[in-house]
Amino acid sequence: MSRARWLAPVVAFVALAFLVAVLPSFISTFRAQQLAYVAIYLIALIGLNVLTGYTGQISLGHGAFMAIGGYTTAILIADHGVKDIWTIPIAGILTGVVGFLFGIPALRLSGLYLALATFAIAVSMPAVIKRFEGFTGGGSGINLFGLPDLTASLTPVTVLGRELTFNDWLYYLCWTIALVGYVVAWLLLRGRTGRAFRAVRDSETAAQSSGVSLPKYKTLAFGVSAAYAGVAGSLFAIATTFVNPDTFPIALSILLLVGVVVGGLGSLVGLIAGAVFIQFLPIWSQEVSKSPGAPAIVSGVVLIALMFVLPMGFAGLLARVRTLTKR
Amino acid sequence: MKPKLTFALTALVLTLAIGVTAAFAGTTRSSADPGVTSTSILLGTTSPLSGVASAYASVARGADAYFKYVNARGGVNGRKISDTIVDDQYNPQQTVLATRKLVEQDGVFAMFNTLGTEQNLAIRDYLNANKVPQLFAASGATAFGSESAKYPYTIGLQPSYQAEGWVLGKYLARTQGSAKVAVLFQNDDYGKDLLNGLKKGMQRSKARVVAAEPFEATAPDVQSQMAKLRSSGASTLAIFATPKHAIQAYVFANRLNWKPKLTLTNAVASASNIMLLASEGGKNKVVEGSVSIVFLKDPTDPKWKNDAAMKLYRSIMKRYAASANVDDVYHVYGMAAAWTAVEALRKAGKNLTRSGLVKVTSSMNFSGNPFLLPGIGLKTGPGDHFPIEQMVLQRWHKGSWKSFGGIWGYRTA
Amino acid sequence: MADFMQQVVVGLSSGSIYASLALALVLIHRATGVINFAQGEMATLSTYIAWTLTTNHGWSYWPAFAFTLIASFVGGVAIHQGVIRPNEKGSVLRVVIVTIGLLLAINGLVTLIWSGEVRAVPSPFPTRTIEIGGVAISIQDIGTIGVVLATVVVLWLMFQYTKVGLAMRAAAVNPAEARLVGVRVTWMLSLGWGLAAVLGAISGMLAAPSVFLDPNLMAALLIYAFAAAVLGGIDSPIGAVVGGLVLGVGLNLLGTYVDFVGADLRLPGALLVILVVLLVKPSGIFGKTEVKRV
Repeated sequence: MSRARWLAPVVAFVALAFLVAVLPSFISTFRAQQLAYVAIYLIALIGLNVLTGYTGQISLGHGAFMAIGGYTTAILIADHGVKDIWTIPIAGILTGVVGFLFGIPALRLSGLYLALATFAIAVSMPAVIKRFEGFTGGGSGINLFGLPDLTASLTPVTVLGRELTFNDWLYYLCWTIALVGYVVAWLLLRGRTGRAFRAVRDSETAAQSSGVSLPKYKTLAFGVSAAYAGVAGSLFAIATTFVNPDTFPIALSILLLVGVVVGGLGSLVGLIAGAVFIQFLPIWSQEVSKSPGAPAIVSGVVLIALMFVLPMGFAGLLARVRTLTKR
Repeated sequence: MKPKLTFALTALVLTLAIGVTAAFAGTTRSSADPGVTSTSILLGTTSPLSGVASAYASVARGADAYFKYVNARGGVNGRKISDTIVDDQYNPQQTVLATRKLVEQDGVFAMFNTLGTEQNLAIRDYLNANKVPQLFAASGATAFGSESAKYPYTIGLQPSYQAEGWVLGKYLARTQGSAKVAVLFQNDDYGKDLLNGLKKGMQRSKARVVAAEPFEATAPDVQSQMAKLRSSGASTLAIFATPKHAIQAYVFANRLNWKPKLTLTNAVASASNIMLLASEGGKNKVVEGSVSIVFLKDPTDPKWKNDAAMKLYRSIMKRYAASANVDDVYHVYGMAAAWTAVEALRKAGKNLTRSGLVKVTSSMNFSGNPFLLPGIGLKTGPGDHFPIEQMVLQRWHKGSWKSFGGIWGYRTA
Repeated sequence: MADFMQQVVVGLSSGSIYASLALALVLIHRATGVINFAQGEMATLSTYIAWTLTTNHGWSYWPAFAFTLIASFVGGVAIHQGVIRPNEKGSVLRVVIVTIGLLLAINGLVTLIWSGEVRAVPSPFPTRTIEIGGVAISIQDIGTIGVVLATVVVLWLMFQYTKVGLAMRAAAVNPAEARLVGVRVTWMLSLGWGLAAVLGAISGMLAAPSVFLDPNLMAALLIYAFAAAVLGGIDSPIGAVVGGLVLGVGLNLLGTYVDFVGADLRLPGALLVILVVLLVKPSGIFGKTEVKRV
């Protein structure tokens, strides 16, 4: 690639990273906590985008992968005394392996059936978690608050000589991982792997006849996207200091799919907007009206309107702006 | 620029603007005890306003109506009470996020009347660690009273589910000495607490539980469980469920041609409007003779038709919650909780602090709550963190509940 | 033995409800190629309309029923024309997101208008129970199964023997070529939505007398209906019915006789069975295997 072409994205990324770094000084710590959740969703969306946006496999079950990551972290912290930060990569790898293994039988399912299969898994996950009570704490879940291995519930943390409140620490942790994950995904998708993924999405038959190994890339996509979701779930557990079967309901899986479509399939750029959207939409809709049912109406209408106005998601909007400014 | 693109960009910019403005709108408070000014007290409540448990939203609504009534009369020690109610859709994870928002962004003085066992458990650690009172949690889980040494800022209100089950079990043991009991229970702490209480109450008799069928709160119907219970040959049926499934239990028992000699139901599922639905316009005879416990005045009980407190209840509902169903006993519960909160706040004095409030609620002795049955008191002290431990039995007869017998008391161990 | 048969009977009862909603899902997929996540909520809304008419306005059952079906049909067509059609040209996911938006909005609307209180809906069938050999069978359940079977027959007749049915099939399978022979594709798709809405309304009216009406009437049923549709074959009405009944009976027997399953693993157990079926025969019991065009 010519120097000019990759300069722009790098500059944009550095600007973003700078913004992320200084923002907490200007906002309340509560707002920082909300933005930390945006980062968590972003990580999950990056993963889901690899699967759905790049290889065209629709998953309605990424909430279940987040559950695996979240519970891995919770069990490791509560039952095995592992420090919360070290559980994150473990959760990611474990979930990635599970996703990869799931990708193998998933090869036999296509489009609609795959969507329904993942939907079924996401629906079953809370019940399965409940069933293995001895392991997962059953319906009451696992409480992490106050455990010594949870870095900061209340007392400030000292990082690089600076004192941070829990909310700010969480913000930096989540955004650091999100930005790193973003870069990793970008590198992955730029190269041969990304091209292979896109070939699979556009036409499986054509890809196959060009020598792209369908099983290899499809299962790889599952594994990668599950790993991201696992990391997101792990951070989710650390952020909420608590997991129970209802922490990762089917609504979460649906929300993630909404986020990836609203953000823009097949592009990393719009995903930040997608993550902001799914974090703040419920909050904004409650601001509009608190009457029972009204927030749901607002959310539903906004979703439908968005599909009309921004059919290619926020990424599509940005792409159009880019082509216009190039003229 | 093309019009559609302009529109889209404008929409995006507007959205971001609103979002960013809303973001900076949250102010941080820096007072000693947040939520208290010389003229107001700010409380926070999470409630299932929508979703599977929205029938319980009446608890928050009733309390809110009562606060408005008290405010119209000058408030408490010159302060008006404002209760911010946030929808958590009965999902504990949302309860956590909503509570954090109420505490950290809105700066509430205390969390009050938050509904649900799992929901209250999810926020208990956080609130106690932040020394925010978890006042009169709307859940009968025994944990909220029995673990007060570890969680001094948390206190419940209603009789524990275990106590409820125990009273029903004891009644059964006294009247149907060697009964065989089949139990339908919700598969969570709530249902299990009731079942354990029931077994404890039956302990010293020949009555035994011969079948216990759990069901998930998300199950569409409980037909299969009812069929299994019927086949156990039990003569007594106990229903420990939430409203919708309790109604189904009665309906399916009827469809299966099963009329148990005695049916016990838990308080939450036996509000009059629920029983009326279950009686299927009078065609369902299984409801007749059902026994439950009660500690509130039920709006449909003819005994309280001319009762001063019930008249007050109706007038408050008419004035401040006109569109709500006045026959819904959950509103009465909400008012009972709000009455208790007002008393506690009053007793905590003009110099209102969180620790002061907790001190009051740890050694309460309030009588005269107009919404509770006469004789039932609100009492806590060292070693007793359960405000209400008394209840009365009631029987469903010809379309309404009729209380009978005296007051039953239970000391939760 | 009587207990076993009782569980089977009860399973057929629940299963027929799953089947009725599955029929709506199957119809809409067959006619328009879309998975409508809002199908359940639309059915709930229809049921509330029927409830309001009979309870608040004193209509008797059959006129209310007829009005509800007509209103549902009109509603289904309107939703397709207004909200779905503009998004059809895009990716499948766009339509999925729109149906999710509809799900949220309709659920919210129902909660806003009618609150979360549980309501009773009258049944067209007598609620008497007959007993055969110790097994209680409710007349209502027999009626429900009867209606479901009749619906399948009507659908089958329509698709096989009427011009409209043929046109609908053509519009779904190959819209471009269908247009060439004069089929008004857009209206056929709208017709599909309208009919599916009617089926959803029927499903709600069959379910509500037993399980009672609240905003979440269909939310719990939807996943079972999906499972039934997938099991039977997502394009086959007969498959939807067979799938629903098999699912209903299977779940009950699993829950009753396999201790490990108990209460909480009923649905996951059933879904696992379905996953296995999908892996072995991806298009379901009665489905036709998709042939991929290069």
